[in-house]
Amino acid sequence: MIEEKIPNPNGELIETEISMGTVHPAALEPYRVRFFVEDEIIQEAEITIGVNHRGVERIMEGLPVEKANALTEKICGICSNSHTWNSVLTAEKGLNIDIPERANYIRVIMGELERLHSHLLYLAHGCEVLGHETFSMRIFYIRETVMDLLHMIGGNRVQYGVSIIGGVRPRCELNEMRIQKVESGLDELEKNIVNFSERFTSDPIVNSRIEGVGYLPPKQARKLAVTGPSLRACGFNYDLRTEMPQYDDFDFNIISLDTCDVKANLLMRVLESFESIKIIRQAIKNLPKGPIADRNWEMFDCDFIKSYIEVPRGICYHSFALEDGRVRGSVIRTPSMANIAAMQYAAIGNHITDGQLCIVQCDPCFTCTDRAFEIIEL
Amino acid sequence: MSLKSYSRQRAIHVMLVYTGGCNGCDIEIVNAVLSPKIDIEQYKVFLTWNPREADVLVVTGPVTYHNKEPLLKIYNDIPDPKLVIAAGSCALMGGVYKNIYGDIPSEEIEGPVENIIPVDAKVPGCAVRPQDILAGLISVLPNLLNSD
Repeated sequence: MIEEKIPNPNGELIETEISMGTVHPAALEPYRVRFFVEDEIIQEAEITIGVNHRGVERIMEGLPVEKANALTEKICGICSNSHTWNSVLTAEKGLNIDIPERANYIRVIMGELERLHSHLLYLAHGCEVLGHETFSMRIFYIRETVMDLLHMIGGNRVQYGVSIIGGVRPRCELNEMRIQKVESGLDELEKNIVNFSERFTSDPIVNSRIEGVGYLPPKQARKLAVTGPSLRACGFNYDLRTEMPQYDDFDFNIISLDTCDVKANLLMRVLESFESIKIIRQAIKNLPKGPIADRNWEMFDCDFIKSYIEVPRGICYHSFALEDGRVRGSVIRTPSMANIAAMQYAAIGNHITDGQLCIVQCDPCFTCTDRAFEIIEL
Repeated sequence: MSLKSYSRQRAIHVMLVYTGGCNGCDIEIVNAVLSPKIDIEQYKVFLTWNPREADVLVVTGPVTYHNKEPLLKIYNDIPDPKLVIAAGSCALMGGVYKNIYGDIPSEEIEGPVENIIPVDAKVPGCAVRPQDILAGLISVLPNLLNSD
């Protein structure tokens, strides 16, 4: 690692450096963060990743496209289904495959269940970093309901990707019993989240910890190309789900809050959970009948295909070309890539004890972000 | 049973080290120890982040090049007697990442964990189930408790 002091705006060097990592208790994932501190106020923050680079794109190169789709699941353990979904969408876009309505509905249900589990995990992690273990435990308890539903439909608790080219896996068919279980699970979940949010927002100690901390100015958020809930917590009313054809049939609101701090980020996730529950309820109510996979498609070569979808943390990008049924030149861009800059910026000006909180507020997932990239000097 | 073992069996401390997997196993393990559903803490197994307090080291992920040194350092910091549990298919055999460059030896992945530190128990699964973690831990605990 390059060790160098960073000058403050007056041109003097900041002497005190507090660095963590790469293996550190407060962060589950290995990354390195350096806080430059004056009078216990963070003047500059720097996050370095690259410790867990594994090169999924390199492994995908030359694999049959079906295998490559299954591999994208292993990019991230939190949004595993979204990566599979986007990779499959990319291939379907190139091969002009129309999937059955029912398959699309099941994909949306899984996508929203995944959003619920990711948002609840964020809340639990956030509360743990805040030092409020009771809330953290409570949310882990609530989250088990979602994990059970995912386990029931996908067959696994973590790697449960449902999409295959042309539809969804036969295992993920939703029969009457499963629909009933999802419905009762959602009722329980909604009740629990309502109770939690009432308790959370009326807690004066927690509120004093999170109000006004980690302020990210909207102008800066736009400049750094922040995506997902972190962008919406800065007052921008933008959600890619409104432009995705997969979500055409569903009616939901885009939540945006304009206080730009940790509180907005935490509340954002709670409010988005209700929207997800709403979407799943609509999908279950109007679930079309018919097959869940269309197997009559032909493979042909196609040039680079791009696909963007909204995953729990923001906008995920997949791109590859197909040649003899094999993947060429795969490029994956995960939402945390853009949000890292926001984490660094949000930490500046806060007390050193809130430094970790400012990093966590942007929902970091350094595991999926660790990709090889080339810096070209112009 | 010595006094030391007698007291140790009432406070087994587990340390989790993450060496470059996909995050799934880690969440499941933390979930298993902390969360109210499975809650291994009720059996007096605690999660710690300090290697000097730990009795059991749980390693997940195929050890990447940059993570090899920290892993060895943490392993050496844990006082004897100690146990190592490799959890998840990445830690057992390198998972999907092991064969990254085909026949050419990989420069990125140093794993599986066995190549770097001795492993006492192996817990399979992608991702591991919380129940399996508990089962794996219990199967090797006698080694720890009878060692002195």
